[in-house]
Amino acid sequence: MAVNGALAFDGVAFSYGNVAALRDVSFEVAAGERVALLGRNGAGKSSVVRLVTGVLHPDEGTVWVGDWDTAGRAPEELAWRVGSVFQHADQQLFARTLREDVSFGPRALGFPAPEVRRRTDEALDALDLHAHAAQHPYDLSPALRKLAALAGALALEPTVLVLDEPTAGLDRAGRGRVADAVREHADRGAALLVVTHDLAFAAETLQRGIVLDRGRLACDEPLDRLLTSAERLKPLGLVPPPVAALSVALDLPGRPVRERDAADTLARVAGGRSRS
Amino acid sequence: MSALHPFSLLAIAAALPAFAWILPAPTGGLATAGLALMLPLVPDPRWGVRVVRLALLTAAPFWLFLRLLHDGPTTVAIGGRITTMVASFVWLVAVLSPDRLVEAMVARGWSLAVAYVFAATLSAVPVLKARARRIVEAQRCRGLSPRGSVANRLRALRALALPLVLSALHEVDERTLALETRGLGAGVPRTPLAAPPDRPAERVARWALLLLCLAALIWRLA
Ligand SMILES: Nc1ncnc2c1ncn2[C@@H]1O[C@H](COP(=O)(O)OP(=O)(O)OP(=O)(O)O)[C@@H](O)[C@H]1O
Ligand SMILES: [Mg+2]
Repeated sequence: MAVNGALAFDGVAFSYGNVAALRDVSFEVAAGERVALLGRNGAGKSSVVRLVTGVLHPDEGTVWVGDWDTAGRAPEELAWRVGSVFQHADQQLFARTLREDVSFGPRALGFPAPEVRRRTDEALDALDLHAHAAQHPYDLSPALRKLAALAGALALEPTVLVLDEPTAGLDRAGRGRVADAVREHADRGAALLVVTHDLAFAAETLQRGIVLDRGRLACDEPLDRLLTSAERLKPLGLVPPPVAALSVALDLPGRPVRERDAADTLARVAGGRSRS
Repeated sequence: MSALHPFSLLAIAAALPAFAWILPAPTGGLATAGLALMLPLVPDPRWGVRVVRLALLTAAPFWLFLRLLHDGPTTVAIGGRITTMVASFVWLVAVLSPDRLVEAMVARGWSLAVAYVFAATLSAVPVLKARARRIVEAQRCRGLSPRGSVANRLRALRALALPLVLSALHEVDERTLALETRGLGAGVPRTPLAAPPDRPAERVARWALLLLCLAALIWRLA
């Protein structure tokens, strides 16, 4: 297969023993693209994440990370290209300070000290964590630990960033920090695949939605179209986020799903009305 | 094997170490160790081999320390007994599901809190194993190689130990809280949904095992 995307699944099947988790899944994510991976509990989302990181390998089909076939590659090799945050990321920190933990990836990959420092600083910056850099990870709140785990993944400067529920347990400010950091990272050319149940976050931050339904690819299209189509979301176990529901209910032109776009559209519509 | 009543499984896992310490060393301890290592192989050899390997791996460091501290015969004498204890426990964890134990204990009128403490001990083992695996996976995804030089492996071990211990402590907290919020110890009798069946033959066998233990004890002391 010709590989164009930074990440590609080609006819991937995977089972845990007798439990088929994924069947014939194919999709591609281009460099710089921001993709949401959606679906109800048990649909197979985390399995996709584990396949990208090389923690699991497909039973059938191929997972491509750039021009690398993940078959026969261990996670520590794929770490050169893939950054990941798992569902229980806040339990995996182990260094004495948050800064040391964030720098773990670049150190493990063997970068020289100045490069490690640069990457660590940038990752701490991206998530606004400098104030906590000297603290022990377990003295921080779970929410901050989650941000720290994301910073640890960013410090790898990966070409593919896969995140499993990065906003679970975060407040609005935390979600905003995650959104800014991952958008910035994608703008630098990384492919972004984000598992999330938080459709409002997805609408604000991501562009395209891939939906899994019982291990199969159920749909793959621009998020603003998907999120404004309640009749197609419903059978997939998804509920449109408030802004998308509002723009459908008011039949706003262009059906915006982001808060900013909806506000602009509303202002335009209201302005037009008051003038006429 | 897992079709046996939970109490029968407990009885076997308790009787083997008891015999190991009561019977004369080294033959007694080695014989019970052999029995304990054969137990998992009975229902399904392929599954059993994995259990036996885990038991041997867990027992190995004990042999090492014993050998450093004692002479050969003493090492074998104590080693056989410790291997019996380790192998019985590993087998019990592998074969007895905590929910069934709780059901059986509650059905027999034990307090739920006591049953829970037993079950938590058993269920902590697989939970910790799964969590350890998750942590190692996460570290590997950040470039940590668990293979290679001794220094590498020590680094990997350090990266595993701290989060594992801290999250386990956190869990103890949560479990205690869960116990309290569920009003355990309130003294209300509870009826389990499905009390596991306890065949008369198994009851007889358990009493026989206990009597045999007592007989061996009397024989050794007399
Ligand atoms: N280690 C495992 N062993 C056996 N089955 C598993 C394992 N992990 C997941 N599964 C099963 O595989 C299927 C897909 O699981 P997966 O974790 O990928 O779902 P998910 O979409 O991430 O769900 P959630 O939204 O709950 O996180 C489920 O049926 C699940 O029960
Ligand atoms: Mg999941």
